[in-house]
Amino acid sequence: MTIAVVENWVEEPLRRFVSDARVRLALLLHPSGQVLGQSGFTRAVDVMSACALAAAIHASAGELGKQLDGKPFHVLHHAGKERQIFIAPAQTRRGLYIFLSVFDRESSLGLVQLYYGEFEQRLAEAAPPVEPEKPVLAENFERDLNHNLAALFGRA
Amino acid sequence: MSATPFAEVLAALTRQRGVLGSMVVSEADGIVVDSNLQIGVKGNVVAALAASLYRKARLSAGAAGLGTANFVQLEAERGRVCAIGRGDLLLVTVAESRANVGLIRVEMLRATQVLDQ
Repeated sequence: MTIAVVENWVEEPLRRFVSDARVRLALLLHPSGQVLGQSGFTRAVDVMSACALAAAIHASAGELGKQLDGKPFHVLHHAGKERQIFIAPAQTRRGLYIFLSVFDRESSLGLVQLYYGEFEQRLAEAAPPVEPEKPVLAENFERDLNHNLAALFGRA
Repeated sequence: MSATPFAEVLAALTRQRGVLGSMVVSEADGIVVDSNLQIGVKGNVVAALAASLYRKARLSAGAAGLGTANFVQLEAERGRVCAIGRGDLLLVTVAESRANVGLIRVEMLRATQVLDQ
């Protein structure tokens, strides 16, 4: 099982979920489409596509839920012939995230739902508090910029 | 909401001495179709895990060349989980240790006739 995370606090809850629920793929992302952590993907381009699609599905389903039910739909499940997807929001003190999971006959919707509940709780507990935004000072600007670029491209 | 075709057999099973609850579960999804549970039994959790257990037991029996698994019983420290499958559905019973497993098995086999319909 290969887990890759952008923020370390995501790793343990994601690892436990994948191990318990026996899913093929798992992805945690920001509603804007930015990835926080993934398991099972082998190519970066697939992660980017999945993030964009999951964010779009979540936004569409949320709006559809508001139109039909007055509030966004909570969980979305789509069963294919061999594989199924499960998309659900995960609320933490750092804000709302979207969780996408792909599973096959090794798992089941019941198991994914069961372990998703535990994942959501672990994620909420693991999320560090939001740090207040610091002013961008001229003397730190270049150093911060270089640090962020290095982190973004995996050179930090 | 009207009662499902399973309500009667589930009620009969749960009336057995020592039985804490019974459920009809979708085998592939592990989702509860209908249930009759005593307070405190986590139906969704048991259904998901029992369906997973039954699927694995069925595959194991097949792999061992033993044919189809038709009755699965898990004996735990403080009770038992029994499962029996028909088609896409699974009948799951949760019982205390003191329950008569022979009687439960007979009742479950009888109840599967409803699942066949």
